[in-house]
Amino acid sequence: MESFVLKADDRGYNKLVSVGGPASYIAGHPDAFITRRSSFNFGDYQTGHHGFGKIRVFGDEIFTHAGCGYNMHPHHDFIIMAFILSGELTHINTLGKVDTLKAGDYYAFSAGSGGKHCELNINQEDLHVIYVWVLPDMLLLPPTYQRAHFNSIAPRNKLVPLVGGNSSMPIDQDLSISRLDSDAPGTYEYKLKSPNHGAYVFVVEGSATLDGVLLGKRDSIGVWDTDRITLQTGAEKSDILIVETIM
Amino acid sequence: MNDPFARYLCLGCGFLYDEQMGLPEHGIAPGTRWKDIPDDWVCPDCGTPKHRFEMVAIPYASGEPEASASNTF
Ligand SMILES: [Zn+2]
Repeated sequence: MESFVLKADDRGYNKLVSVGGPASYIAGHPDAFITRRSSFNFGDYQTGHHGFGKIRVFGDEIFTHAGCGYNMHPHHDFIIMAFILSGELTHINTLGKVDTLKAGDYYAFSAGSGGKHCELNINQEDLHVIYVWVLPDMLLLPPTYQRAHFNSIAPRNKLVPLVGGNSSMPIDQDLSISRLDSDAPGTYEYKLKSPNHGAYVFVVEGSATLDGVLLGKRDSIGVWDTDRITLQTGAEKSDILIVETIM
Repeated sequence: MNDPFARYLCLGCGFLYDEQMGLPEHGIAPGTRWKDIPDDWVCPDCGTPKHRFEMVAIPYASGEPEASASNTF
């Protein structure tokens, strides 16, 4: 088994303000700002991991003050996903979709042959959101937008598929995302799809032990060259994302 | 024989540079190799520098392109 551990504070950090150079990119004025913690190299953060399997971006972001966000901007090919942790996201895209996403909601926007999107927090309350960008398995696909909701109450203490794999949200990549909302001690054995798959496990809230490694809030681990991983939770309320990807 | 044409994806936005197609609308002729594009070139869509593109071996959804095709949005 191969692995790397990434502690919460060792991730990349950017504060993006809505004035000066980035003003055309960052929405909101004059006191709006975004903080971004990057698990993988992105933008000016280039001293970390390049990515993991087909994941290139894993951004833990907070949009502060009403009107804050990313102005309409173009993408190609990346499958961009957003998982709302708290607050409210207004998502607008060039497929003609205007969507409002709240805690537990998530979307997958496949930019394919070309698409633009705008991401906004139009409320005073902070928006906490995790963005995941994934390479597609084919270039210049027709763009698509899908959205769904993770119910954090009903499926407690059970791994719930959100994206790809056996979920209701297929994507054009050999990658799947599951989420565990736990409030009781438990052991979860997660069998990888093949020896060529790996798992990136991110602790959103609480803590967990992954193959003997204790992970706290916003810590993460990448594991590969193994056929399964074992996740243990305690009594503490914990929220965990598992991204399984072909390596 | 020349090496096969390669594809490079912008890690800031996903913009694709395909050596076979070049970017005629940005003054880069079809067939221009990645190494022959100046080091100070940046992504036309998002400004990401050339060294933050990644070579990808991903097929096109619609099959292999004609040399004259373009991927502009
Ligand atoms: Zn770009």
